Amino acid sequence: MNSATIILWCIAGSLFLYSWKEGTGTVKQGGLLTWKTTKQNALLLVLAFIIVGFVTVLSPDELVKTWIGPNSGWRGILLAGFIGMMLPGGPYVVFPLIAILFDAGAGLASVITIITSWSTQSLLTLSFELPFMGWRFTVIRWSMGLMIPLLAGAAALLIWG
Amino acid sequence: MLSTLKKFQIHFLLLAVIIILGILAYLQSGWDLVQNGFVQGIKILWRELPLLAAAFLTAGFLQALVKKEFINRWLGAEAGIKGILLACLGGGLIPGGPYAYYPIASALLKSGAGLGVLIAFVSAKNLWSVSRLPLEFAILGTTITIRRYLITFLIPPLMGIFAERMFGKRIKNIRENVDL
Repeated sequence: MNSATIILWCIAGSLFLYSWKEGTGTVKQGGLLTWKTTKQNALLLVLAFIIVGFVTVLSPDELVKTWIGPNSGWRGILLAGFIGMMLPGGPYVVFPLIAILFDAGAGLASVITIITSWSTQSLLTLSFELPFMGWRFTVIRWSMGLMIPLLAGAAALLIWG
Repeated sequence: MLSTLKKFQIHFLLLAVIIILGILAYLQSGWDLVQNGFVQGIKILWRELPLLAAAFLTAGFLQALVKKEFINRWLGAEAGIKGILLACLGGGLIPGGPYAYYPIASALLKSGAGLGVLIAFVSAKNLWSVSRLPLEFAILGTTITIRRYLITFLIPPLMGIFAERMFGKRIKNIRENVDL
């Protein structure tokens, strides 16, 4: 079990104890709401995880490496913004890949753009955002963030070259 | 018929993505890879079940516990900058992937949190994430990590403020989206 799971269980446990203190009504309501959310989203979660599975086996690593290579400058930033959106998986998968890109000669600005783009614009994350937050929220958040990785990269390029 | 379609629109969208990815996998290396994709997905889901259970419990009990006055005062549209900063702090500290923090964000949305607060929460999770920090330092090194943090540090609160200014009034419609 990883630390994220342990911390979240601690949070859930404290919330449970707190609601116990509030009375059985609150415990009941909490359980009911948990069950309702789970029931509503179970099928969606299965679908979302199948997407994660496919993206994992399709292994775009090689593709990414050939695309960005020792690219730098503005074109590198634009490309990096695009690649960041496509990168699948959590930090354990993505950071080593970005480290490889950096060693292969990708500039600091491109690397910062990729990290930011993967963090905020990841297409894979949308398969979890859509079910839980609805399409209106997803569209607003995603499109507002579209320029941010590019701006972050441009700032890095201007400051550190 | 139309209401069923509407109710399951996200199911259909995800299904369409699965079909496209399945075709890509088939074209790349045949049925084996298609099967492999399914198996991998279910395996990852199985592995993440303990985290998912904790996330859903947190979301459920959070909804039951937080009082309307607390949300209005701290996380509603009226909470202003104070709410946005609090959301940034929460987002930065919460651990786990999107299947952990979106159920929690969804619970806050249903309980009455404002748009700016929610955008700030998600953006801070994405850009400040404290739990990701040690890994980022270890794999990408000090220089990249510190510069990346410096450059993106103000983005979560700014995104929250702008989102609230531009689309804050639409929060009712946004909330309708999740009250299926």
